[in-house]
Amino acid sequence: MDLDFTRAERDFRAEVRDWLAGHVPDRLPSMDTPEGFEAHRAWEALLASARLSAVSWPEEYGGRGASLVEWLIFEEEYWAAGAPGRVSQNGVFLLAPTLMAFGTEEQRRAWLPGMARADQVWAQAWSEPEAGSDLAALTSRAERADGGWRLYGQKTWSSRAAYASHGFGLFRTSGARHKGLTYLMFPLEDVGVRPVAQLDGLPGFAELFFDGVYVPDAMVIGEPGDGWRIAMAATSSERGLTLRSPGRFLATADRLVALARDADPALADRAARCWSDAEAYRLHTFHTARRIAAGESIGPASSMGKVFWSELDLRMHGLAMELLGERAGTTPWLDGFLFALAGPIYAGTNEIQRTIIAERVLGLPR
Amino acid sequence: MDFAFTPDQLALAETVRDVLTEHCPPKALRAERLPAWDRLAAVGFFGLLVPPEADGLGLRLVDALPALEETGRACLPGPVVETAVVAPYLLPWVPKLASGAVRVSVVPPGGAGAPDADLADLIVVSRGSDGGAVVVGREAARLRPLPGPDPCRRLSEVSYTDATPLDRPLGPALRAATVATAAQLIGVARRLLEVSVSYARVRRQFGAPIGSFQAVKHRLADVAVGIAFAAPLVHRAALAVEAAVPDAGVPDRGVPDGGVPDVDRDVSAAKAAAGEAADLAARAALQTHGAIGYTEELDLRFWLARAWSLSAAYGGAAEHRARIREALAGGDLRRYP
Ligand SMILES: Cc1cc2nc3c(=O)[nH]c(=O)nc-3n(C[C@H](O)[C@H](O)[C@H](O)COP(=O)(O)OP(=O)(O)OC[C@H]3O[C@@H](n4cnc5c(N)ncnc54)[C@H](O)[C@@H]3O)c2cc1C
Repeated sequence: MDLDFTRAERDFRAEVRDWLAGHVPDRLPSMDTPEGFEAHRAWEALLASARLSAVSWPEEYGGRGASLVEWLIFEEEYWAAGAPGRVSQNGVFLLAPTLMAFGTEEQRRAWLPGMARADQVWAQAWSEPEAGSDLAALTSRAERADGGWRLYGQKTWSSRAAYASHGFGLFRTSGARHKGLTYLMFPLEDVGVRPVAQLDGLPGFAELFFDGVYVPDAMVIGEPGDGWRIAMAATSSERGLTLRSPGRFLATADRLVALARDADPALADRAARCWSDAEAYRLHTFHTARRIAAGESIGPASSMGKVFWSELDLRMHGLAMELLGERAGTTPWLDGFLFALAGPIYAGTNEIQRTIIAERVLGLPR
Repeated sequence: MDFAFTPDQLALAETVRDVLTEHCPPKALRAERLPAWDRLAAVGFFGLLVPPEADGLGLRLVDALPALEETGRACLPGPVVETAVVAPYLLPWVPKLASGAVRVSVVPPGGAGAPDADLADLIVVSRGSDGGAVVVGREAARLRPLPGPDPCRRLSEVSYTDATPLDRPLGPALRAATVATAAQLIGVARRLLEVSVSYARVRRQFGAPIGSFQAVKHRLADVAVGIAFAAPLVHRAALAVEAAVPDAGVPDRGVPDGGVPDVDRDVSAAKAAAGEAADLAARAALQTHGAIGYTEELDLRFWLARAWSLSAAYGGAAEHRARIREALAGGDLRRYP
């Protein structure tokens, strides 16, 4: 057991840090505005030009074949540098791992390089009005058509869909609750999109209306009917690691400690606890990375990470709001707070995660 | 970067676990003061950290950490950390230390007393503010038992007629003891969770196992999360204490560039988190058991008491949290690694 970075890892950290120091822009407008969305895409393209937008991908798709530990190092440097939020998040960290694991080589070649440059921005379309936590209750359907499928129904809460070019999600291809679902990609061009304003007043997500949108067979990931299994494999990576790496919370914790430096000891104590907890998430993730590198799958234990980071993030931002009081709105903390509030809801609510932990990690009866 | 215990480290823990399963069952906790000690001595447990020159194995704290966790899991009585961890740092020259023939207890700075001092041959008594300590032989010590929650870890105030000043700094030994105690707390918490899960699967009310009720599930899930994110802080602290003390008889092990920024801060993070995880586990265990958990008769009481006694030992969570806060207020936010 050790915690030592290799020489190569330290060199990589130094390279990333240098590059970011020379390129990170001043605060961009929100990615949920038209000009902010384009500014964030341009930033992704710049990152991609340095092969830094998806470091863990193989080189042929635009990455640099970085190890998991190197990716974690990248993330630490990225957030410490105050770099912009990732407009291509759901593509790079959710769809891409799915394509790596279940897609065809043609699909990877067709979509990954453009995703790395944010030529295309992808929105996740899983949730429906009547299928939230109970995702398998979804009713949007794909019907067989010549050489492909026609999509019908409604999706909702699809992040970035207000401005994105493409989507991916689950559609019903038969009646069987779990085995009747198929994983599909689609262009948003012909989909009806109704942007939905979030608590900050900006359209961070959207409703999607499908009225016979045609997609060719090449847009199916895996086999028809295998969508549930594929989606569940992707969510365990989403919750476990790739959705929210420790780097983001370490950076927040550092800023919080600075904010609380002259505060009342009771408040400063809470900041210090958050700082240690962010470290705990980091160390836990080093352990997880070690397990994954050794070929283990993380499975339901990934739910523990999701509960931990989302509640830590909320504690940190909630404390910042207390420290700042009425001045919070003049700082980036307010946006951060509003965003942190969603953490216990998206990617499977924390109630659902706790039930998963209890039943599938601890073995309590259903 | 290989942040997982090695097969050797885990095998050592397995050996200790087997010994304790056989020789330190709950009924032994009611009958004996030092169950399993002779068996642990026989497998070399007390010599793990003792230098090879003194017939020990000269292992690092981190090597012994999973084994120490097992002593918590089994609720092993006696001055375990003091004899197996503190003594090798402070008293390595004492004859037969590695064999387990000498038991040691400690009054740490700020501590109310020494655990199981009546069973100790030597007692290290810290002298408070100046950072020094003396060593007191059992015959020269006068003990006054202190009331406390843990029947298997009894504290005594120590006064003495005759003592030898200790020529070594207490700091490194106290850090190691604090981390070792944190490891025991993780073991206590894991056991409390296991016992609670088992009970929740069999106890039935309203025609169903209580473990099928979501309020019970979510409470125990929180305990699992608490343990999962406390343990890595403890493991890191074990690496940090030795990386920080190259002269503690440990050869250089590739300390990262810039060294370990603030070992005391990392040790405090470990102890605070482990203590709180164990407290949460104890609270959840009692609630999950209901009234039967509130009895002296159920063995659960030993682990509840151990969670309380160890979370107060070597500084409670509030004290350690305050230390972390002060360290951060100094402005050094560098992390190890
Ligand atoms: C900011 C944000 C971004 C999002 N982005 C996307 C996206 O890009 N793509 C996408 O598909 N979806 C997205 N979502 C949707 C998200 O996945 C869902 O909100 C989530 O799955 C919960 O579904 P729901 O909102 O319908 O809540 P419900 O399922 O209606 O739940 C409401 C409440 O009931 C509780 N509850 C429900 N069932 C149980 C149960 N069995 N036991 C205990 N409690 C239960 C829940 O925990 C919750 O507290 C996003 C959501 C947010 C807030």
